[in-house]
Amino acid sequence: MTMNLFNQFLSPTFLGLPLIAIALMAPCLLYPSPAPWWQSNRWTTLQNWFIGSFIKQILSPINTKGHSWALLLATLMVFLITLNTLGLLPYTFTPTTQLSLNMAFAVPLWLATVIMGFRNSPTHALGHLLPEGTPTPLVPTLIIIESISLLIRPLALGVRLTANLTAGHLLIQLVSSAAFSLLLSQTTAASLAVGLLLLLTILEIAVAMIQAYVFVLLLSLYLQENV
Amino acid sequence: MPQLNPAPWFLILVFSWLIFLALMPPKILTHQFPHEPSTLTAHKPKANSWTWAWQ
Repeated sequence: MTMNLFNQFLSPTFLGLPLIAIALMAPCLLYPSPAPWWQSNRWTTLQNWFIGSFIKQILSPINTKGHSWALLLATLMVFLITLNTLGLLPYTFTPTTQLSLNMAFAVPLWLATVIMGFRNSPTHALGHLLPEGTPTPLVPTLIIIESISLLIRPLALGVRLTANLTAGHLLIQLVSSAAFSLLLSQTTAASLAVGLLLLLTILEIAVAMIQAYVFVLLLSLYLQENV
Repeated sequence: MPQLNPAPWFLILVFSWLIFLALMPPKILTHQFPHEPSTLTAHKPKANSWTWAWQ
């Protein structure tokens, strides 16, 4: 029973070819590069506005040294939000439900911020491991706790995105299969399930966008700490 | 859980980073933001009222 429900998250292959590659290409196909003329079309203008306002917002708390991460953060945001929202369409595969993909992004980027921090200002970076005003007997314990919390960050980053999207898709599948199976025998219950499904879908659209934003925001916070 | 199947992990890592590094950034980079706010001009610009041309 559980195996059946999780089957939607199997990395799809067709004749041995991994179809996740096509799913990952979808954002590239949806965003044509803006043309060099002054006034672009609506879609390009919308993207332009989004990227501009997003970058202004996410880079405002970071000092100038960290602004070199602007392209990376913008690309990551566009990539993740597109993958997440496209996955809500029927019969599409969401690559961000794969723990491999989310860890593949979380671990190197988090590690990059940590290495940057330790290279540029090691004392400052180590100082993050001990909050100010800690009573002396608590110092060793707190350093251990803070180190653990530092090391758990990439795991949390990756698993947060995976779990949120997986749970959402799973719930949608459960509720929709319940609604479908109840359709003929208990129509009232089925209509309630359909109402629940509608609300769930709206929630999942929000979650898809918010989780992508949270991923990039947390990365920017880790960057802010180390820059 | 099929997500924990380690078989496609490396491939997924390679593919996703390939697309993330090679295909996406050029598209983002070509977006230009021409009207950059400048702190040098301290005076307020003349208020140009504009409205839809009803008449």
